[in-house]
Amino acid sequence: MSVGIIANPASGKDIRRLVAHATVFDNNEKANLIRRILLGLDSLGVRRVWFMPDYFGFYQRVLDSLAGRCRLALEARLLDMKINASQDDSRRAAEMMAAAGVSCIITLGGDGTNRVVAKGAGNIPLLPVSTGTNNVFPVMVEGTVAGLAAGLLATGAVEPEEALQRTKMLVIYINGRPADIALIDAVVLADRFTGSRAVWDASKIRQIAATRGSTACIGIASVVGGLRHIGPAEPCGMHVIVGSPTGDAAVSVRAAIGPGLIKRVPVVAYHLLQPGQRIQVLESPCVIALDGERELRINAGDSAEIELSMEGPWVVDIDRTLAAAAARGVFREHRERPAGNK
Amino acid sequence: MAPNKEEMLDMYRKMLLIREFEETVANLFSQGQIPGFVHLYVGEEAVAVGVCSNLGDKDYIASTHRGHGHGIARGASVEKMMAEIFGKIDGYCKGKGGSMHIAAVELGFLGANGIVGAGLPLAAGAAFANKYLKNGGVAVCFFGDGASNRATFHEALNLASIWKLPVIFVCENNMYGISMSQERHQNINDIADRAVAYGIPGVSVDGNDVMAVYEAAAEAIKRARAGEGPTLIECKTYRFRGHFEGDACVYRSEEEVNEWKKKCPIQRFGTSLLEMNIASREELDAISAEVKEQIKNAVEFARKSPYPDVSELTTDVYCD
Amino acid sequence: MEMTYSQAINAALREEMKRDDTVYILGEDVGIFGGCFGVTAGLIQEFGPERVLDTPISETAIVGSAVGAAAAGLRPVAEIMFMDFMTVCMDEFFNQAAKMRYMFGGKVKVPLTLRTVCGAGLGAAAQHSQSLEAWFTHMPGVKVVMPSTPADAKGLLVSSIRDDNPVIFIEHKMLYGVTGEVPEGEYTIPLGKADIKREGRDVTVVATSLMVHRALVAAETLAGEGIEVEVVDPRTLVPFDKETLLQSVEKTGRLVIVHEAVKNSGFGAEIAAIVAEEGFDFLDAPVKRVAAPFAPVPFSPPLEAAYVPSEEKIIEAIKSLF
Repeated sequence: MSVGIIANPASGKDIRRLVAHATVFDNNEKANLIRRILLGLDSLGVRRVWFMPDYFGFYQRVLDSLAGRCRLALEARLLDMKINASQDDSRRAAEMMAAAGVSCIITLGGDGTNRVVAKGAGNIPLLPVSTGTNNVFPVMVEGTVAGLAAGLLATGAVEPEEALQRTKMLVIYINGRPADIALIDAVVLADRFTGSRAVWDASKIRQIAATRGSTACIGIASVVGGLRHIGPAEPCGMHVIVGSPTGDAAVSVRAAIGPGLIKRVPVVAYHLLQPGQRIQVLESPCVIALDGERELRINAGDSAEIELSMEGPWVVDIDRTLAAAAARGVFREHRERPAGNK
Repeated sequence: MAPNKEEMLDMYRKMLLIREFEETVANLFSQGQIPGFVHLYVGEEAVAVGVCSNLGDKDYIASTHRGHGHGIARGASVEKMMAEIFGKIDGYCKGKGGSMHIAAVELGFLGANGIVGAGLPLAAGAAFANKYLKNGGVAVCFFGDGASNRATFHEALNLASIWKLPVIFVCENNMYGISMSQERHQNINDIADRAVAYGIPGVSVDGNDVMAVYEAAAEAIKRARAGEGPTLIECKTYRFRGHFEGDACVYRSEEEVNEWKKKCPIQRFGTSLLEMNIASREELDAISAEVKEQIKNAVEFARKSPYPDVSELTTDVYCD
Repeated sequence: MEMTYSQAINAALREEMKRDDTVYILGEDVGIFGGCFGVTAGLIQEFGPERVLDTPISETAIVGSAVGAAAAGLRPVAEIMFMDFMTVCMDEFFNQAAKMRYMFGGKVKVPLTLRTVCGAGLGAAAQHSQSLEAWFTHMPGVKVVMPSTPADAKGLLVSSIRDDNPVIFIEHKMLYGVTGEVPEGEYTIPLGKADIKREGRDVTVVATSLMVHRALVAAETLAGEGIEVEVVDPRTLVPFDKETLLQSVEKTGRLVIVHEAVKNSGFGAEIAAIVAEEGFDFLDAPVKRVAAPFAPVPFSPPLEAAYVPSEEKIIEAIKSLF
């Protein structure tokens, strides 16, 4: 009967506010969102909520803000862990929550945040709420609703098989050893530095591997989507070899690679990726961006490969969960009629 | 847009030059050879260098009490800077300004500043002048997390946003305003959030990653030169030394300092240059040796320079 | 040519903006509104919003940005609507503008003119009526100008704008409507040159701004009683024309100082000290100061009238020396 919350205080402020047209997602607004999540959880009788400690202090802020008006029945607790204000905080927090037996972990962040949480969550499902920039994995959802969905799963009102969906992922191997994962896309860039992390210069893209493709997404998944739609549950991914902007690629795809940033990406070749299939990274040295952020530096002389895996994180499907609960009458109450009145 | 090898090595050299300059000043100060107060930039080198490597002749910078790094990154002579800090006549300001007021207007360096947050409106004004003169120049203001609570921050961002001034506000968030940790001095963590209130872009970058700062500054400057107005860039960083030399740092733990020292911006950049086959160990070592020599000469220069004559006491108060 | 004090200031601004492209005006409501007292009326129509800039209510940003722009090659004329508001941009003026040249070893010029408005008389009370000129005379690096007539206002403002130093140009709100003869064409009045507004042999009255006019009325009255008053208007407090002061006191042997600011640590104390140090032997009587009492400016009309030195008080002070 417990749920975890991992809120990334750093999401929604990277350079895409400058190079694209993204908006700042300020942390007080995230705190408001968490407050509504807690109220949703509390209303369904969830007993305990675990928080990841963070440098902004969501835990204390949210509890302080609720102290006056609404008395929560649930018990909110902070994980006993030291934080470094790095992404590894989220991975370790997810591990601890999994060990504590939470039913699911509600994440607040973008694709990047969820990638890191997934590394620590194991088989514990995620309920990803979007507060980032490129959001293919998390969904835009009202906090109250997210809290209700997580609460339905945690209290057993809805069965896991009704609520959960398994996602795909990409595993990146360096010199034959697994080094990292991506939930949506891994992009090989002719770059030397991770720098300000975001990817906005399309001319540097050499290869794309993706678990999904949809033109309804922001980010590299939209390039893939422009070639062929690939749904979250479809048992395949895609590999795209990107041409140079001045080269003679026969096809180019117009795609929203960032908020407000629509670019033409020249495509030399593409093919579907089958589960378990590994592709070779053709550029070295290079940088690989995972889920929209330049993350891995492939040093000169190292070899890298990317594999499609069907064993990505479990995700709570909010719509299905709420629909199942409604069908079961969870939200309905019948008033007892007074005696003698037929 | 990306810097070439020569430019990257120059960035590496400038970061080292700042580090060597500051550590030398720390030594000389502890030996009583430097008068007054000094506030050192050790640990924050990537911010000044990442930003200033994008600037041209017409551009201005306004700095803080922790300003040596900004001056060096802007290309100031370490000899004249050292002489100024010694209070000597061959210093940039004839020894009349000292560490906290060191300036080189001829280089577009509008000075370190003894008043926290004073640089923001000054930079807005310099940016206004560039816009007015249509010379394509921009202005950059460096300031700390503490300054982001001052009226000058809010008034300058507001003015710059309504007048679309070509100014880049670079917040060096080193997590402390003197002894007050950020969580004690403001109800937010990301100063970039405050950009929202002025309708301008606000971005937060790793201030210990010189390439991250470089990229963000390059984009903000491009935007400013295109007439699109100001940007707020927050660089998360840390000062390895105290607020001032002699600060016992009772407000932070040794452990925290050591954690940040592991994120040393110079080491990180050096490692990247090697791993990415951009530079060889020999090249980096040669730069390091040159820098040490340069600073040694700067100290020599400063020592040999005379103090200003007492007749200088009342000159330069007014223009004639 | 006869014009008002306000028109004379407007004319000086217009002429200097025509003469020098780097001159621009900024301040609260100086553009479309024409200035709180109408002094900048018509300028935005003539020079456009690029050179006549309405600012938000942000004194700190007005003065701070003007200092930055001046250091970067422009010649700003900033308006602070009431002198009382200098308290919210004091750092920008005092710690930045005034000291920049010295701190930088003479390597920068800050040609900033800051126009502002002092004085009681409109029932504007304690926060819109003060005369704070003495503060600015305590700031090495700043020049302080206080014109009393339309002709002085124009010639001194032209000089202030052309001056390469920060200048605070203090206008009096009760003088805007005062008319006077103003020379035709371009002219300047040097900063640091006092003007003898009326010659006399018996007593020197040093008065500033609006008080010059009251001193002249007092002098006229006393002339009828056989006392010939010499009225000296320093016009600029920094630099201060000591020669004219000392020559006058040498001639008359008596000194009365009149200013609207409170007496304690007012600029009158400085004038008295100069005479005590350098002209003690000229004096035949103690120095007298006529100034506001040590209190904020009151609102109630009879109190406000009693606050500002009157002709009667000036006459009384002069007579007490004989």
